[in-house]
Amino acid sequence: MKDSRIGVYICWCGNNIAKMVDVEQLAEEIGKLENVIISRDYKYMCSDPGQELVIKDIKEHQLDRIVVAACSPRIHELTFRKALENAGLNQYLLEMANIREHVSWVHTDREIATVKAADLIRAAIEKVSYHEPLEKLSVDIDPATLIIGGGVAGMSAALSIAEAGKQVYLLERDEKLGGHAADIDLSFPYLNSVASFLGPMIKRVSEHKHIKVYKGTTIEDIFGYIGNFETSIKPNGGGKEELKFGHIIVATGLKAYDPTPIENYAYGRIKDVITSSEFEQMLLSGKILTKQGKVPEHVAIIHCVGSRNNDTHEYCSRTCCTTALKYANQLRSALPDAGIYDLYADMRAFGKGCEELYTSTSGRNIMFLMFDPEKNLPVVSEAKQDEECEMIIRMEEKMSGENIEVPADLVILMTAMEARDDAKDISHIAGISMCGNNFYIEKHPKLDPVATTTDGVYIVGTCQGPKDIPESISQARAAAARVLAGILRGTVAVEVTTAVVNEDICCGCQTCISVCPYSAITFDEEKNVSEVNEVICKGCGSCGSACPTGAIRSRHYTDRQILSQIKGMLNRGKLKITQTIIEEA
Amino acid sequence: MNYRVDPTFKTDLKKFGLQSWNDCFHCGNCTAMCPLSEDSFMFPRQAIRTMQMGLKQKLVSSIDPWLCYYCGECSDTCPRDANPGEVMMSLRRYLTSLYDWTGLSRKFYTSKVWEIGAILLLGGLIVLAFAIFWPSISPELTSEGGVRINSIIPLKWVEYGDWTMAIIVALLLMSNLFRMYLKIVHGAEAVKIPFFLYFKEAWRLIFHFSTQWSFSKCDGKKYWLWHWLLMSGYTIMFIIIVVFLPWFQTEEIYDPWHPQRLLGYYATFGLLFGLIAVIIGRLRKINAKFKFTHVSDWLFIIMLLLTVITGILVHVFRLAGMPLATYYLYVAHLAILVPMIMIEVPFSKWSHLAYRPFAIYFANLKKEAQKLQEKSGTNFATT
Repeated sequence: MKDSRIGVYICWCGNNIAKMVDVEQLAEEIGKLENVIISRDYKYMCSDPGQELVIKDIKEHQLDRIVVAACSPRIHELTFRKALENAGLNQYLLEMANIREHVSWVHTDREIATVKAADLIRAAIEKVSYHEPLEKLSVDIDPATLIIGGGVAGMSAALSIAEAGKQVYLLERDEKLGGHAADIDLSFPYLNSVASFLGPMIKRVSEHKHIKVYKGTTIEDIFGYIGNFETSIKPNGGGKEELKFGHIIVATGLKAYDPTPIENYAYGRIKDVITSSEFEQMLLSGKILTKQGKVPEHVAIIHCVGSRNNDTHEYCSRTCCTTALKYANQLRSALPDAGIYDLYADMRAFGKGCEELYTSTSGRNIMFLMFDPEKNLPVVSEAKQDEECEMIIRMEEKMSGENIEVPADLVILMTAMEARDDAKDISHIAGISMCGNNFYIEKHPKLDPVATTTDGVYIVGTCQGPKDIPESISQARAAAARVLAGILRGTVAVEVTTAVVNEDICCGCQTCISVCPYSAITFDEEKNVSEVNEVICKGCGSCGSACPTGAIRSRHYTDRQILSQIKGMLNRGKLKITQTIIEEA
Repeated sequence: MNYRVDPTFKTDLKKFGLQSWNDCFHCGNCTAMCPLSEDSFMFPRQAIRTMQMGLKQKLVSSIDPWLCYYCGECSDTCPRDANPGEVMMSLRRYLTSLYDWTGLSRKFYTSKVWEIGAILLLGGLIVLAFAIFWPSISPELTSEGGVRINSIIPLKWVEYGDWTMAIIVALLLMSNLFRMYLKIVHGAEAVKIPFFLYFKEAWRLIFHFSTQWSFSKCDGKKYWLWHWLLMSGYTIMFIIIVVFLPWFQTEEIYDPWHPQRLLGYYATFGLLFGLIAVIIGRLRKINAKFKFTHVSDWLFIIMLLLTVITGILVHVFRLAGMPLATYYLYVAHLAILVPMIMIEVPFSKWSHLAYRPFAIYFANLKKEAQKLQEKSGTNFATT
């Protein structure tokens, strides 16, 4: 172990850690270890007084290494790095021991949990003594932005950025802008015409001097990193065009679920069973008619088609309930005497103005019937010849427990929102992760909802999950603000815990290039060695472990650091608390 | 079986006094606190849901509305002011109109013109009949000869009239009760009932008719008392004037302690007390049950009150020795009483005197039959 002056801080995390780990005894015993100058326990290390404690100790006791035993480094490593910086210490001279997620939350025996916490802290102490001070890199940012998808989300983001005078390249796969919103008649909850705001929006985007729109254009590949991306596109299948940009906003949108596989609803078999998208077309055409051209006397709306069911999608598509209420209103206005039936699972009319829409709709003689979306989906079948209606829907009504029959001449299926078929391609191109439903994953569900794990790449609108128009626009504007902040800063600091190649040892085998998941390594033909682009490298360590000659070193995770960490973990003998356990064993 | 929904049903039920169909959000508070609701008959929430969906086939065969005595607790405590009690009340009116095969009940309940018109018509016919057969007033019928009510209007005529009326009313009620029986016991929610149960459970009819035992389980015992006084006064008076008219309506005036007069006084007191209490209750809306008053509710009270008042006046004038006043009021008394009984008992609000005890009887038949079935089921399973 290298000689150093280490401060160890053990967090209670309120009771989260303290209830399963004997933090006080731990702090006392750790304090007796070699090189440990200060060892403290504290209720909340991440709080301002907690950080102050660290800063004060660094100054008073000339500490040169800090170990914080608390939560996952994903949550607070940056917090404590900042504290080190404030105390005048290089921020990389910190090591965290995760004794919450890895110890107190997952164990039930306090004694054993305390021993495990001691193991992790000792490992951190050993490792931190070999930490080296590192300086962050800074790169310039190209002020142009690429936006993929010309729906409301993409266009809103484009306008926000272009209004600030920055160049936007807006890519749209289709021949027209507007996305799915262009297929909607009225918007909920106030039943305003979508065309009334979408039309002017498209016009503004098309005519904006800072927005270059590429319609009928797809993207094959993107190279580079935050601040310095580049791609080549073929607008409308024509000649190649090279684009350079500093940020990417992905706004590729969604796809409507195809209800054919749900046999109960007979979509495709019975002509007058239609999807919500088809009904929007009917509304836009101004005529609500059955396939035989008759005005329907009974109209049924079925919710959760493809949503909230393990056979289709487990998630709630979020907008269908309120859209169904909108339909009920439009139907009632168009067909004052028709029977209108709303077959729902739970009425999720949340959000501003939506519950009010539900209340006012329910006063317009709409029959609301509840079913269970997990079992007993309603069954749509053709009615017998002598019936006055075309179809009969049989269902178990949940609120009464009765088996009932609903007459229908027209059935509208509120189809789910699902990820586009090409979501996977775009995720590879832009370096975005996907969840199980093929929606894109944000960097942090609460604290960073439009960023992704790839710096400089943002996701907005329904490609991230089901959303309504205002939510999509809010996200678009949020991402635009993030992009503009980046452009304004001009440069960006890049993490330096990356891999570096020792050119003297590198034999040019290129194994590292084949294992790098970020395409961060290139091969220098002249020198016959590999080269790591530090801006793209995430420091995952794949190359370092694959390198047959040991030429690649992962900064902050060097072999020596890892080995000393293991040594620290295995060296139980020195602590009293661990000895009792060892004796018992 | 699958019940067909009908979105127009609630519009129809509004004519029967339904106040709101849409306010209930099915928290179940009403059913939880109802002292009469039980596992086999859960109301009022289920009835409200059935109403909202317009499951007419289910409603026709449902006993629940008759098992509710409208104490009003559910409406008082409903968090949505959905008036569950009034839903049950309007369902009772609707069911009455369904049991009635003549279709008149529906007309009377849904149209003021029909109901008031029918009352005026029948009353007019009575007056007309008396006008045609009115004898010349000879001296012995004046004050000198004393008040001789049975001479001017021969007792036999009135008695024949009474019996005719009673038989017509009984036939109508019984045929409607039979229809009620078919719908409830053999309808959509049919349960197979062993024959002996019909006899075993028959005591409930008399017991519940005479005590209104279920009503006494409701909160607010005074309402039960008012209702019981009204009911007992009405029943006693009905029996006296139909079955024992010659004993009751004598030319001779007995002394006040004679059973004839005592019984008459009790019945009058019961009727008057009950009526005044209910009228004040309805005017002041002292309880949820009195909050909404359908035309049929008022007509029933007013007709009965007029009958009682004219009856009392006939008695007073007779005691006071005022023959002409007595005779004319007697005609008025009959002109109110006859349409009241002919219209209200078989076709309107008063039919509940038959439907309620029978509903309890049918409910118990079903319950006992179900118990027997379950018992034999479990026995079978264990052996």
